[in-house]
Amino acid sequence: MESNTISNELRSLFSLVVFPGGCFLILLGLSYEWADRKLLARFQNRIGPRWFQPFADIMKLLAKEEIVPEGVDRRLFIGLPIVALTGALTAGLYLPILGVKTTFSFPGDLIVTLYMLSLLTLCMGLAGANTLDRFSLIGATRTLTQLFSYESPFLLALLGPALFSNSWQVSEIIAHTDGHWLMLTQPLGFLVAMIALMGKLELPPFDAPEAETEIVAGVLTEYSGRGLALFRLGKGVELVIGLTLVSTLYLGGITNPLTFFLKTLALLLIIVVLQALLTRLRIDQTVGLWWRYGSLLVLLQWFFLILLQGSAI
Amino acid sequence: MEEQKTAQSFTVPIGPQHPALKEPSHFRITVDGEIVTDAYVRLGYAHRGIEKATESRTWTQNLYMLERICGICSHIHGMAYCLAVERLAQVQVSPRAQAIRVLFAELERIHSHMLWFGVTAHEAGFDTLFMYSWRDRETVMDILEELSGNRVNYSANILGGVKFDVDKSRIESILDGINFLEERTQYYLEVVSTDTLFLQRTQKIGTMNRREAEVLGTVGPTARASGVNRDIRIEAPYAAYDQFPIQINLDDSGDLKARVLVRLRELFESYRIIHQILQNLPTGDLTVRMPRRIKQGETILRVEAPRGELFYFIRSNGSDTPDRIKVRTPTICNMMSVIKLVVGHQLADVPMILAGIDPCFSCNDRMVMINQSNKTSHRWRWEELRQYGIKYYQQRAA
Amino acid sequence: MRFAAMMGDIASALIHRPVTEQYPFERREAPERLRGMLHWDPEKCIGCGLCVKDCPAGAIELIVLDKKAKRFVLRYHPDRCTFCAQCVFSCRQGCLSMSNVDWELAVTERSGLIRHYGEKKDVEEVLAGSLKQDSV
Repeated sequence: MESNTISNELRSLFSLVVFPGGCFLILLGLSYEWADRKLLARFQNRIGPRWFQPFADIMKLLAKEEIVPEGVDRRLFIGLPIVALTGALTAGLYLPILGVKTTFSFPGDLIVTLYMLSLLTLCMGLAGANTLDRFSLIGATRTLTQLFSYESPFLLALLGPALFSNSWQVSEIIAHTDGHWLMLTQPLGFLVAMIALMGKLELPPFDAPEAETEIVAGVLTEYSGRGLALFRLGKGVELVIGLTLVSTLYLGGITNPLTFFLKTLALLLIIVVLQALLTRLRIDQTVGLWWRYGSLLVLLQWFFLILLQGSAI
Repeated sequence: MEEQKTAQSFTVPIGPQHPALKEPSHFRITVDGEIVTDAYVRLGYAHRGIEKATESRTWTQNLYMLERICGICSHIHGMAYCLAVERLAQVQVSPRAQAIRVLFAELERIHSHMLWFGVTAHEAGFDTLFMYSWRDRETVMDILEELSGNRVNYSANILGGVKFDVDKSRIESILDGINFLEERTQYYLEVVSTDTLFLQRTQKIGTMNRREAEVLGTVGPTARASGVNRDIRIEAPYAAYDQFPIQINLDDSGDLKARVLVRLRELFESYRIIHQILQNLPTGDLTVRMPRRIKQGETILRVEAPRGELFYFIRSNGSDTPDRIKVRTPTICNMMSVIKLVVGHQLADVPMILAGIDPCFSCNDRMVMINQSNKTSHRWRWEELRQYGIKYYQQRAA
Repeated sequence: MRFAAMMGDIASALIHRPVTEQYPFERREAPERLRGMLHWDPEKCIGCGLCVKDCPAGAIELIVLDKKAKRFVLRYHPDRCTFCAQCVFSCRQGCLSMSNVDWELAVTERSGLIRHYGEKKDVEEVLAGSLKQDSV
């Protein structure tokens, strides 16, 4: 009995730290970042980075000195990247990364996943507000404004399948929607979820918070060395988790590694095409877009869902 | 570091080091949230003392010094200098050399406008358009390399003519390249006029009506996009422009979209002129003998650089080094319009408006010395200045 | 409302190879008129020195060993040269030319960069002489 408990504990620890959470998730995040950059480069008719480029970037950043600017709160400055990465990694605990059924699952874990993803964005906003640099302050304002605008349509769009499966638990939703592609029955929700995912990941056209030509690097302007490496890892992990979430909920669940790669890479392809096609939106245009069209579409979707639900019962 | 907030406003520095600027300059933008309330510009980071350095070099050596004022307007600077010095020395250059000079000038205009187009797309966040337009710019750089041996700073001018000839075997490859570029420019024109998101970033932004454009003193495509009908190639044709005339491209809206459209349409004019020149290249020698000492005198010359009106004043005292060369580049005329226009727009529009005037900061650093020790001052009214100009040109034509 | 204005290019990018030329491994042939390293033909030189006078960067020095016998040595500084080809056109005898194969001129130290052109024994004489005097 005790050895059973100990081996259970060891198994949980293993899946938390090594596979499929923790280290494996970080490596997966780096590979997806590579796939994103390589595909974008090919669409722009250029070659793109080699397969180990994101890994080399992180290694290089970890080897450099971390400069803490004068006048900032030192503990916040150093601690926020760590909290951000932790939030992103925690969000992955409840999802079927690589098709492996999660060992941690409890009712309501969909909400926890979504909040952990927002924790990353919130940490970046706080990090920008903490730094006294003017560019970081404007970047922080833009990040938080953008968070305000896409967050509610994103959450509502992802809760549509939860409504369909009558459960807030990811593993139950998977069991309910296995083979059933909600993309076809809830198209508006899928559309909103995809576009909002681009907003969450701050990919073009929603990359006003880190607009290189206006505010240098936005929130991350003053970060260097380890802090920057952790934020970038967090973004890579966020990419994987966002893709897994949307493909789990809308593309009929993930049960084995092959479907994991196929579905998430298909979604990544669509996202990269949208990145290459569209110009950056100004922050006021982003807010206008979301509060006009985004919310409207998702509310329409929910209206239909509730109607259908009511008629089914 | 002092707190930069004063009563709800906040200063954002753009430059001297900034990813949006290709060359250093300093803009101090005061914002209130995201709306710009005030702007201040400080230039001078690329001042190299070129005008002073020309006073101690011979006429031949100065050609290369002046060519390096700017990277993408280098040929037009060299051409303006050669035309002015040839006028001072009263030497007639052969029509073939003039036509080849115009050929290079139009190729340079294509190069400059394609570069600018990519940079504007990059400032808007449209990286795909940036990559593709710079890929196509390689075609015109290859043409220039075949003709002159260098992709930038072609050094095609020489006092008295040009260095490189255009023979029949090269004409075909040039025309192939030009036809490819024409197709691609047509495609870009379509993209810029119809893509919804790009239009959202350029339409109704930085609007300047015709009166404002004239009062602020803007020149070049920036002014032509507001309806100001000035183009030096038409008003005062130099080199071979009287044989191969240009048609002007105007637009009434005066916003960023108009500036993009005017420059893209100018590309079509350039393609047409290049076709004409290559088909009707006049015969003649390439160079004419120039004296080493240029006669005493002074002259002014205006040419149309890709950015606007370029003005040269050259004074010679009869020796083999010039007495004074003064250059006034177009960017410095257009810079004030940026300061005026950004107020009221959002911070995200500031790099776009700056890119809309096609700034070339290495051209525009000049020094003006105001001599206040001399107590007698003479005030010229606008009419007097105008009459002086008319008399000057009449004397020169006589 | 057109969102996908550049779709044509993006779709065709999947079919075509990237245009990037991977330089050290793929090398394009240089065009004929490329202005690379300067070369001097001592046979035709009359020692007028126009090339030295006209060079905007002072990259050419003409060392006269014997003007009557036309023994000259040309000292060329590639690090000062701007590759403008003014000297090529100033020379009325056609002694100077710019190579189009010798254009990869980057080095890690300046010491070996200066070139001396001329007949072998003249160059040796100059090099021996310059070792005695201070280098200029």
